[in-house]
Amino acid sequence: MNAPVINPFSLQGKTILVTGASSGLGQHIAIRCAQRGARLVITGRDKARLQATYDQLQGESHVQVQADLTMAEDRDLLVQSVNALDGLVHCAGMQKHCPVRQLSEQLMNDIYRVNFLAPVMLTQSLLQANAIAQQGSILFMLSTAAHIGTRGLGPYSAMKSGLIGIIKCLALEQAKRKIRVNGISPSAIATPMWDVHQQLLEEQKARHPLGLGTPDDVANGAIYLLSDASRWVTGTSLVMDGGAVI
Amino acid sequence: MSVAQDPFSLSGKRVLVTGASSGIGRQIAITCSQMGAQLVITGRNTERLEATATALHGEGHTAIPADLSQQQGLDLLADQAGALNGVVHAAGISKLVPFRLISKSHLDEIFDSNTYAPLLLTKGLLARKRIASNGSILFISALSSHSGAMATSAYAASKSALLGAMRSLALEVAKQGMRANCIAPGYVRTPMLDGLGQGGGNMDALFDLTPLGMGDPEDVAYASVFYLSDASRWVTRNYFILDGGLSTPMDIYA
Repeated sequence: MNAPVINPFSLQGKTILVTGASSGLGQHIAIRCAQRGARLVITGRDKARLQATYDQLQGESHVQVQADLTMAEDRDLLVQSVNALDGLVHCAGMQKHCPVRQLSEQLMNDIYRVNFLAPVMLTQSLLQANAIAQQGSILFMLSTAAHIGTRGLGPYSAMKSGLIGIIKCLALEQAKRKIRVNGISPSAIATPMWDVHQQLLEEQKARHPLGLGTPDDVANGAIYLLSDASRWVTGTSLVMDGGAVI
Repeated sequence: MSVAQDPFSLSGKRVLVTGASSGIGRQIAITCSQMGAQLVITGRNTERLEATATALHGEGHTAIPADLSQQQGLDLLADQAGALNGVVHAAGISKLVPFRLISKSHLDEIFDSNTYAPLLLTKGLLARKRIASNGSILFISALSSHSGAMATSAYAASKSALLGAMRSLALEVAKQGMRANCIAPGYVRTPMLDGLGQGGGNMDALFDLTPLGMGDPEDVAYASVFYLSDASRWVTRNYFILDGGLSTPMDIYA
C-alpha cells in the first residue's frame, strides 16, 4: 500500500479565475492558488495593483484582465478571454457602514451592483459561454455578515445573504454537470477593506476565541473548496471565524 | 510545494481515529496516513482493526482495540493513546426504529456509542493532557441530526447532541489553542448504510435525492484532513455540512 499518492488538495492543472484580485483576499487567494500549481486568470479594476498581483504569481501562463465587473461590456471582455475554468472565486466586494435609517438609494445601488449583481451576472455569462468545466468549483466570497446581524451592516449583509440564495439554487441547477457551488464566510480579517474601520476591527478581536484570522487562513479554506478534495461539497458555505460562531 | 510547508499536510502530527475498523473511520485513518500522519486507531473488532492497520501508509502506527461504550474501554484508550495532535470521533452506530418502538435500552445503546463515547473519550484525553496545544478535535455528526429521516429519532438526537457539546467544548479549549469542530455528512457508501438497507430502509430513493449522488468515505476523509491540518487553524466551533447537496433544497433550520 505504498503507491504514490496524489495530493487531493493540489490545484495542479486547474485554471482558476479570481475576481477582486488587485487587493485583499482576492489577491492573496490568487497568489496561494498559483503556489499550489493552478493557472490563474485574475481581474480587478486597478491596473497597477492588478499588475502587482500578477507579478507575484508563481509559474507560467497566467492571465490578467483589467475590468470593472459592474459593467456588462467589461464582463463580456473577461468572458472572452477565458475558457474551461476549473474554478471561479468571486472576491470582488465592497463594504460600507451605514445604519438602515440613513440609507440612500444610491448607496444601496452601489452595494448591490458590486457585491451581488456583478458576481451573479459574471457567473451567468460564464455558464452561457460554457466556460466552466465539468466538476468545476464556483466559490462566492461571503462573510459571516451573511449569517448574522451586525449594526450598521444592513446593505452588505443583505447582499451577502442574497448570494446564499444564488448558491443554493445554482448548486441544484449545476449538479448534473458535477459543478459545485459554495460560499466561504470569513469574519473580520485585517485587509484593506477594513482600513477605514480600524476601531471596529479592534472591537471584533474581542469576540473571537482564536483571535482575528489572516488572509492565509481564508486562502486555505478556498483551496479546500476549489480542490478535488471537496468534490462532494455543494450548496453550502464554510464559516471561518475563529470560533465567534454564527 | 514541498510536503513540509504544505498547510494541508499532516506530517509530524499524531492522530487518533475511533471507529477505524470500518466505513468512514477506516477511510479517515488511511487518508490521514497518506497525508503523513502517524495514526492511533481504535475499534471494537480486533480483526478488522488489524486489517485497517495493514492498509495504513508509512510506519509507527498503533492499533488499540477498545469498546468505547464501556468506561473500561475509554480508560484503556485514553491511557494508551499517547500524545496527540488530532482526534477524530468517527465511531457510531445506527438502527432504524420507529418512534413508537423506542425504549430506554435502545436510546441508551445509541447514545452510549454516538454521544457519550466521543464526549467521555475527549474528557479522558483532556484530563490526561494527551492533546497538544493547537490540537484539533473533530466529531463526525450526521446531516440527519437536522433532517431527521423516518425511524431515526434516537440516531438523529444522538448526533445533534454533538453540535451543542462541540460548541461549548471549543470555547473551553480555545485558550490552549485547541479547536473543536463537527462534520455532518449526508449519505455515504458505508457498511453502516448497507445495514440500514437490509433493515428495511429504502436507500436507493435516498441516494437519488442527493444532487451529486452518494458520497464516498474518501469525501469525508478529505474534509477531515482539512479540519485536522493547519490549513484550518482559524476554524473552530464550526458545523460543516458535507452532503453532495442533499440539504440544499431543505430548510433544515426551520
